[in-house]
Amino acid sequence: MKNNILIIGGGPAGLEASAQLQRMGYNVILIEKDSVLGGHLAKWDRLFPDGVPADEVLSGLIHGTEGVKLFTETEIRAINRLEKSYNVRLTNGITVLSDAVLIASGFDLFNAVKKEEYGYGIYDRVITNADLEAYFKNGSDKRIDHPKRIGFVHCVGSRDEKSGCRSCSKVCCATAVKQAIEVKESFPDAEVFCFYMDLRLFGRHYEDLYLKAQKEYGVRFIRGRVAEVSENIDGSLVIKAEDTVASKPLKATMDLLVLMSGMRPSVSGKAVGDLLEMTVEEDGYFAVRSGIAAGQRSPLPGLFLAGAATGPKTLPETLADARAAAVEIDRYLTEIFPDARNYKQLVRERW
Amino acid sequence: MVDFGFGLVPSSRMNLDLFDKEKYEELAEIEPDVRICMACGSCTAVCTAGKYTRTSLREAIEDIKNAKPEKALEMLRACQLCGKCSMVCPRGINTRHLILSITKVYSAK
Amino acid sequence: MTPLYQFLAAQAEVPEVIDRIPSGYSHFVIPFTIGITFFLCWIGVGCVRLLAAIPRNDRIRFWKSLFIPKTIVKNLKDLFGDCLFHLKIWQRKPLLGYMHSAIAFGWFMIIVLGHIEVALFVPARLNVSRGGLFYPIFYRYFVWMNPGHTTLKGSFFFFLMDFFLLYILTGIGLAVFKRFRSIVLGMRHTTKPSLADRIALYSLWLIFPLRLLAESFTADLSGGSFLTVGVNHFWHFLFGDKLMFLPFWWAYSISLGLFFVAMPFSRYMHILTEVLWILLRNAGIKPHHPRKGVAEAEIYACSSCGLCLDACPMNVQKKNLKYSSVYFIRFLRRHNEKKINAIADKCLMCDKCHALCPVGVDAPALRRAQRITVNNSLPYDYSYLPSAVSAGQLSGPGRVHPRFAAAEYGLSPAADPAGAQKPEVLYFAGCMTHLTPRIIKAVEKVFKAAGVEYAFADREGGICCGRPLMLAGKTEAAAKVIEANKKMIEESGCTTLVLSCPICYKIFREEYHLEGIKVVHYTQFINDLIASGRLPVSKSDEKIVYHDPCELGRGCNVYFEPRAALDQVGTLVKAAKEYDESICCGGSLGSLTLDTRDRAKISESSLDNLLANSPETIVTACPLCLKTFSEAVSNSKHKYIRVTVKDFAEVICR
Repeated sequence: MKNNILIIGGGPAGLEASAQLQRMGYNVILIEKDSVLGGHLAKWDRLFPDGVPADEVLSGLIHGTEGVKLFTETEIRAINRLEKSYNVRLTNGITVLSDAVLIASGFDLFNAVKKEEYGYGIYDRVITNADLEAYFKNGSDKRIDHPKRIGFVHCVGSRDEKSGCRSCSKVCCATAVKQAIEVKESFPDAEVFCFYMDLRLFGRHYEDLYLKAQKEYGVRFIRGRVAEVSENIDGSLVIKAEDTVASKPLKATMDLLVLMSGMRPSVSGKAVGDLLEMTVEEDGYFAVRSGIAAGQRSPLPGLFLAGAATGPKTLPETLADARAAAVEIDRYLTEIFPDARNYKQLVRERW
Repeated sequence: MVDFGFGLVPSSRMNLDLFDKEKYEELAEIEPDVRICMACGSCTAVCTAGKYTRTSLREAIEDIKNAKPEKALEMLRACQLCGKCSMVCPRGINTRHLILSITKVYSAK
Repeated sequence: MTPLYQFLAAQAEVPEVIDRIPSGYSHFVIPFTIGITFFLCWIGVGCVRLLAAIPRNDRIRFWKSLFIPKTIVKNLKDLFGDCLFHLKIWQRKPLLGYMHSAIAFGWFMIIVLGHIEVALFVPARLNVSRGGLFYPIFYRYFVWMNPGHTTLKGSFFFFLMDFFLLYILTGIGLAVFKRFRSIVLGMRHTTKPSLADRIALYSLWLIFPLRLLAESFTADLSGGSFLTVGVNHFWHFLFGDKLMFLPFWWAYSISLGLFFVAMPFSRYMHILTEVLWILLRNAGIKPHHPRKGVAEAEIYACSSCGLCLDACPMNVQKKNLKYSSVYFIRFLRRHNEKKINAIADKCLMCDKCHALCPVGVDAPALRRAQRITVNNSLPYDYSYLPSAVSAGQLSGPGRVHPRFAAAEYGLSPAADPAGAQKPEVLYFAGCMTHLTPRIIKAVEKVFKAAGVEYAFADREGGICCGRPLMLAGKTEAAAKVIEANKKMIEESGCTTLVLSCPICYKIFREEYHLEGIKVVHYTQFINDLIASGRLPVSKSDEKIVYHDPCELGRGCNVYFEPRAALDQVGTLVKAAKEYDESICCGGSLGSLTLDTRDRAKISESSLDNLLANSPETIVTACPLCLKTFSEAVSNSKHKYIRVTVKDFAEVICR
């Protein structure tokens, strides 16, 4: 018997998990609220650390999902747990009886407007990391006009209690270094500054990227958080920070300021979680059953989690998480689910 | 002449052995936020007084932890308590009270 | 059975007066006498001590004020309105007002009428000097039947006495009820009474029922009206002819005595202190110390009614109720220095408890006075200030705004070349506004649209206005900052100073004393621009709720202008509580020790209050409120998803 598995979210985690489960012979249904697949990956230009085009990675992921039943522009209208399975009503009118559900709802980018003092949406020359990727992808943005001095502000909406987000978003440091290199390639004459609190370049080859930015591109890294931005009459920006290494407050005029918006829990993902009364932790991300041992299992039997739905992750981490979730689902559907008589006991022992 | 093996030139090192733990705990008792600074420098960046004269809460906190309380007081004496630092602190430190408390605890003889 | 007095009245020959106990004394008056003597001594010493602690100049001013006609009228108005009728409570919570005025005014009337009655009906040979000392208090015990009472006039007094006794009893009934179900009287929180409070409270509860009992037991001998006589009939019905009345007069006297002994240590001290406080307040004397002099009158004028508990924005968390003004004042009375400081530092200084206090106790001012005792002497060094401001904002390229404004916005420069340097309007954004650039942008947009020629005093940042220092109790340091700013503003030659921050506005208005310069908040300035037709605006359907910032509303009494202006651009809806009852956003600089989490709770309750009529937009006129609300809205994730927070100028100039 082919079990039905519903996967919510057509980003990298959802795509990768669908592909794996499809290969294992399950009947996979993937739903995505947008009209296109890929989530944030579809909007990104190139990826750190080695600069592969996001399109390439994404098309590879989509390619693997052949045979998966795919519904785009579809959300969940209602979901309820039967004895073992989930009965899910979709907004396109279809009802799915699913033996396992995987939530891969991903993340939202922090809305930089909320960081009032940086003036995003107020000052013309303040953009976000996503805006810059869009510029790289589409080649135009009227806010970016041959900037001579470009500043990157790390940790916008991350590690900031005032934005309601204490945790590190993990990817922004590497993204900033990558983007700093890229703008330097686009505007070789420009001076580029990165204002950071701590540089967290933890992954393989990330440090190489940092080294490259320093050595080959002359990007200046300043340890200090930008805390105030004002605008000159010509539209250029005056930023204020402290160089905490030199122990001196500084100001600098910038032609372009790029805010590294961090990751926030997905709002539409939360809506799905509310339907299931799933627990979220203080940081707003879904709680997993056990952080180390059962990182893809939710507290509810048959309900799995993958990707940034359980906290910020890099793309490789997300893909690995999705594969792990696929294995977990397979284990559940072969070891626990079929045993109708002892189901409840097995859940108690092995979930 | 006897060589004692050391000179009388004062050391440029900070001596953490001189750290006054008791006083620090007294401060942390009235304003526990002193413990949670992550030294991002936002407070110093926006400081109203810091534009004119050296003023830095971040540095004052470090000075205290590095056994230099007089320097800490120096870093705060120009403060106007305007509260900008409390608005930007990513850790939500109650900066104004911390400044008052440092001044209170460390200027007491 | 015919009551005795009716029998007597029916007699043809009635003795002029029947004195049951001609000496005017019985042992049962002892408890009362001890109580009242103790109390009067306490009051006398207290008053002398209190007045002695007031600085000489203030004291002279106080005595003089008692003879100024205008102050006399105000004093009388306040004494009757505040002490007896409790009009301020009536306005907000009618049932509670009734309760307080029933006890206060009723008791007052019983005392006054009792004295009049005695004066009218007791023959001269039995007056005070002849042993009638206790007549006015225990008249119904000492007097049998006086024929005067049976006249219309006498019955009238009988009726009045009974009427006011009933009036008080209804008040007492409500007070007892309030102990158990305060919400019915409009109070969510009530104060926790101290031991002395309890003694005084229970004796106060007992006084009037016991009086009713005592008087009703003797009503057939000494007369009475509908209440006492009615009850008297009931006693006869129950117990027959022999009524043991003495125990009740003892009990009545004991409860009175107990009340007067407990009074100085309880909240009921306010009954008399209030009078002194109103006189001092109306004389315009401000406290110079958190506990001495005027402050002492103020803290003993507090009736611990607990209205400030419901007023306090910190009441969203039960654990923070202990920081309310009523407890602050209680600890001031008890000299508990540690708790006084903790409470003084916690307060947001939103001033709502002051605005809502039935006796006008200015607790925030006392808290500030307390902070002064601790913080004013802390070391500081502002030697950089003079050079900072003179190097400042109004000279040098890129700083003088009027010229740029003229060029950029296509305005004609003033005819007088000196005038170009000296703009009419000076805009001072203040520290906080630099962290909310949209306010600056919007204000400049408004100025441009209305063709206002202005200079920007602190485009590149200035120094602080001094209000945060004042709030922290560093008045001496604040004076230095004020001096420096004042010099800069006076040298600018402007005639109008526009401020977008209410914190700045309050101190500029109250402490700067800028000669010949009009100090206005931008809500007022912009409202004038709209009213005079200089600023064209267009009305929309946008549902707007306006949040009164503490420093602007309660602080400076500016409620009308922002609403008038907003009414021109959108549809104003009401908040659940607004004007002087508006709830602090939680971001106030007033509090020194409130932490982020507690503040967030306050922000949430303030937002809930604003969203009572589901507006689309929350408008505020303070950078601190704006930032606090924006953060609260975005951090709440889903709760406030449909509402946006905007600045006043932003909404005016869309």
